[in-house]
Amino acid sequence: MKFATVLRSALLTLALPLTGCVTATVDEMVFNAPVDGIGDASVVILGRRHASDYETEPDFIECVGDHIAARDKAITVVSELDFINALYPWFEPRTAPLYPEDLEKLMQQAPVAQRLAEMRTQYMIWIDGSTIRTDSAGSMTCGIGPGGAGCFGFGTWGNDSDYEATIWDFTNRAEVGRINATASGQSYMPAVVVPIPIIAPVQGTACDSVGDQLLKFLSSEH
Amino acid sequence: MSGSMISGLEGRYFMPRHIVLLAICALLAACGPNEVAVKGQFPSPLMNKLPLNVGIWYDESFRTHEFFDEAKGRAESGWIVKTGEAQTQMWDTLLPGMFSNVVHMRGKPEPGQMNQAVDAVLIPHVDELQYAIPTHTNVKVYEIWMRYRFELVTPSGKSLAEWTMTAYGKTPTAFLQSDEAAVNLAAVVALRDAGANFATNFTRVPQVQDWLAQRQKRPAGIAGGTAGNAEGSL
Repeated sequence: MKFATVLRSALLTLALPLTGCVTATVDEMVFNAPVDGIGDASVVILGRRHASDYETEPDFIECVGDHIAARDKAITVVSELDFINALYPWFEPRTAPLYPEDLEKLMQQAPVAQRLAEMRTQYMIWIDGSTIRTDSAGSMTCGIGPGGAGCFGFGTWGNDSDYEATIWDFTNRAEVGRINATASGQSYMPAVVVPIPIIAPVQGTACDSVGDQLLKFLSSEH
Repeated sequence: MSGSMISGLEGRYFMPRHIVLLAICALLAACGPNEVAVKGQFPSPLMNKLPLNVGIWYDESFRTHEFFDEAKGRAESGWIVKTGEAQTQMWDTLLPGMFSNVVHMRGKPEPGQMNQAVDAVLIPHVDELQYAIPTHTNVKVYEIWMRYRFELVTPSGKSLAEWTMTAYGKTPTAFLQSDEAAVNLAAVVALRDAGANFATNFTRVPQVQDWLAQRQKRPAGIAGGTAGNAEGSL
């Protein structure tokens, strides 16, 4: 019994620092970055949600926003939900502008123009993409009995992230930058009594990649 | 668990039949349908209000709308999705942001019914609701689709316009998110979509356009009317 406890503790301790490997690629195509950052204006990061078979994850959008706000305190990142609630119903999947030129039509509505002016939104960043599970293999069996519980087996799976961020300049109603980030990684989960997850942080890596590139665009310090 | 009796608190014995009963209860609970009473927050629309005094009437079937899907096999579970409360909450938030005045009618608009004086009464219906979860489609999203039917009538029930409208909501799977929470979120997105669709397309419905055009042609002072005798007031 003591041996099992020690073994479990040892396995858990070993599992903590284990993470799978991730390969990330970032393509950047910036047209017109602000020289001195965005000043006291705000930026909003929104997810594209009009595709039928996938949806840009809200937690990814939050992750990119947090990444930017944490590394440059001068940048005000408006929360996605606050923004789309404040401008309902103009940024729902059905009604959201697809091209910068569509902003012109939107700004013709006085209440919308007024609200956007109040929010001082300088840049609107649209992120389109998702993280998918590409393959999985292996098997694991878990059991429970009078003496305890445990698992035995091995599982592995891959994840691919592909995101594209498009930056719109709200003042000039123009697209001023585009960033594409891809990441892929393989996760493993061997189990001898206790499953040991070795997770590849694919989505997190993609978030950091997009966030770093956006920081270069938006921040005067990066 | 292997003995015939298990020692309980205060030296008393906890009979195995209690455990069996608990297990049966747990199993029966697991066999029941998944139930979701949709709950969410809906924002008011940001738009220029139409200068209309609109009444709203929710039928009983709308106020208590629920969707029931029976399990197709042993491996699947049935679903009950109750949208009635969320529907009324969403429309009660949306319509006052769209029209200059919105009132709830005392009774269903029909000849002889004494009602408030309004320009028109909107009666929404949910004609159909469909849902899909990842186990149905192998796609990593939960989906809700609804088809609405709207009636725009005079306070005495004469039809001014009738049209249908669809709404769709989806949400991706998320770590530690239950099926129920995801279906609720998809339904909230669908309701928001319904509001967005209605708010942006109301004046584009051909019959509504005709009605609005007729109203504009009338001399000032005629619009409005008395309850129960509003046929000529529009």
